[in-house]
Amino acid sequence: MGLRPPLTEYVRQLWKRRAFIRVLATSKAYAKNQNSYLGQFWAVLTPTLNALVYILIFGVILGVGKTGVENTVGFIVVGTFLYHFFTGSVNGGARAIRGNMNLVRSVHFPRAVMPISVVMAELATLGPALLVMCAIVWISGLMPGVDTVVPDWSWLSLIPAILLFWVFNTGIAFFMARWVAITPDIQNVIPFVLRFVMYGSGVIFSLESFVGDHPAGVILEYQPIAVFLYLGRSALLEEPAFPPDAGMWLWGLGWALSFAIVGFLVFWRGEERYGRD
Amino acid sequence: MTDDDAGEIDFEIDPEDLEGDVPVVAELGKPSLVVDDVHITYRVFGATKLGSRGAEDKGFLQRILDRRPGVGSGVREVKAIKGVSFVARHGESIGIVGINGSGKSTLLRAVAGLIPPTQGAVYVAGEPSLLGVNAVLMGSLTGERNIMIGGLALGLTEAEVREKFDEIVEFSGIGDSIYLPMKAYSSGMGARLRFAISSAATPDILMIDEALATGDATFRQKSKSRIDQVRAGAGTVFLVSHSIATVQSICTRVLWIHEGELVMDGPTDEVCAAYKTFVRKVRDARSKAAAK
Repeated sequence: MGLRPPLTEYVRQLWKRRAFIRVLATSKAYAKNQNSYLGQFWAVLTPTLNALVYILIFGVILGVGKTGVENTVGFIVVGTFLYHFFTGSVNGGARAIRGNMNLVRSVHFPRAVMPISVVMAELATLGPALLVMCAIVWISGLMPGVDTVVPDWSWLSLIPAILLFWVFNTGIAFFMARWVAITPDIQNVIPFVLRFVMYGSGVIFSLESFVGDHPAGVILEYQPIAVFLYLGRSALLEEPAFPPDAGMWLWGLGWALSFAIVGFLVFWRGEERYGRD
Repeated sequence: MTDDDAGEIDFEIDPEDLEGDVPVVAELGKPSLVVDDVHITYRVFGATKLGSRGAEDKGFLQRILDRRPGVGSGVREVKAIKGVSFVARHGESIGIVGINGSGKSTLLRAVAGLIPPTQGAVYVAGEPSLLGVNAVLMGSLTGERNIMIGGLALGLTEAEVREKFDEIVEFSGIGDSIYLPMKAYSSGMGARLRFAISSAATPDILMIDEALATGDATFRQKSKSRIDQVRAGAGTVFLVSHSIATVQSICTRVLWIHEGELVMDGPTDEVCAAYKTFVRKVRDARSKAAAK
C-alpha cells in the first residue's frame, strides 16, 4: 500500500476510473463559472474579451498584427482562443495536485486522474468558445478590405487539430502537476514563461514576417504551440501564409504523442510522493 | 461506563447516547492489515527558520551563522510518525487515541495509502476507505454531484452510485438540501453526507477520523450500526477520536500514539484507563504551570 504500482497496472486502474475523470472534469468546468450572475456565459465571454484587448492593442493601435496577415481580426481571435486553452491547461495542471490536497488525501485513486480531468475541463469550456470563435472569424470576413471567409469543409479539420492540442496539453499538465507538487516555487515562474511562449509562438502577430529569415525562426515555427496554432488557422482562415500542410499535421501528431507519453511516465514515476508534502 | 472520569474530555458527546452500548465482539479472522515500522516525514513549507525558538539568547551574528545555507524560505522536515508497527485482523475495530498533534490522523492516512510512508511498509488485504472531517469533496458543487464524485473516486461505477443514491441521501438524512451546493451545508450536514458516501461502498477497511463528533444523537446511533455492519462483513474499522466514550463503545482494541510513537496497544479498557491517567497528569501539570 502506498507504493507505486507497475505501469500496466497503473494504466489499468486509470482506465477503470474513466467515468470518474469525466464527471470530475464536467463538474469542474461547471463549478468554475458558477459564482457569478452571468454564470456559464463567462466561459465564452472571457476569451472574447481577451481577444478584444489584443485586437485593439496589436491589431489597431500598434498595427503589428497586420504585417503579413490579411484578416487581422480572424488571425488574432484564433490565436488567443487556442492559446487560452493552453494557458488554462498549464495553470490547471500546476494546481492539479497541490490545489486538490483534500481530495488527494482522503480518497485513494491513481493520481493521474487529476491532471487529465483538469485538461478535460478546459476542453469542455473550450467547446462553446470555439463556436463563438468560428462566428467571429466568419463575421471578420465581412469587414471592408478583407476577403470573405467561407465556412467550408476545411473547417472540419479544426476538430482533429483541437483533439491533438488536447492530447498535447494533457502531456503538459502531467509535467506541471509533478513539478509543482514537488517544487511549489515553479508556480511563481509560470506566468512569465507563459507570456514568453505567447510572444514566441505568434499568437497575436505573424512570426514569419518578423523572424522568417533568422535561423531561430525555424525553431519558433516548428515548436509545438506554433504548430497547433498553424493547424487551427489553416483550418479556419484563408490566409495565403497558412495553407493546409501535411507536414504540419505530422509535427502536431508527433508533439502531441511524445508530450503525452513522456509526461505520463514522468507523472507516474512521482506517484508515491503526491500527498505526502 | 466511567463517565465521571471522562467528563472533561468528552465534551462533544452525550454519554446517554452510548449508555449500555458494548462493542459487538466479532470473530477475529486473518490479518487484514500489517503495518511494519512505518515512518512518515512531512515536508513543511513556510516554517520559521530553524533554531529560531532559542534564538533570543543568541547574538545577531550567531543567528546568521547558525542559518543553514541555501534555504531561503523555511522548509522543515517534520517527523510525524516514528516507527509504528501493528497487525489488524478482520472483524476488529481499533480505536486510536492520543493528544492533539500526536500523529493519529497521519497514521490513519498512511494506513489508507494516502500518504506514502517515508520508510517501512503497509500491507493491506482489500481496499481501505478513509472518512475524515475535513474531506471536503467539492464545496462549490451540490451534494448530489458530490455523491457521484465521491462514489466514483471510491471505485464504484456510475450505475452503482445511482443505485445507492437514495440510500446515501436517506442515511445522511439531509433531505432536499442534497440539491444545494455543499458550501451551504452546516458542518454536521457535511460530515453526515461524507460518512454516508464513504461507507456506501462497504469498504474492507473503514477509517473514521473524528467524523462522528459532528453528528447528532440519532446520526451517531445510525453510524454505529453501520460500523457494526462493516465489521460483521469481516471488515476492519479504525476510529480516531478524542472522546473516550466513543472509543469505548465502538472499539475492541485501542492503540495509543504519543509523539509519533506507539505507547500502548491492547484491549480497550486497559489502554483507555492508562490513557486517562496520562491525560489527567498532563492536565494537572498544565494547571499547575498556569497557577504559577
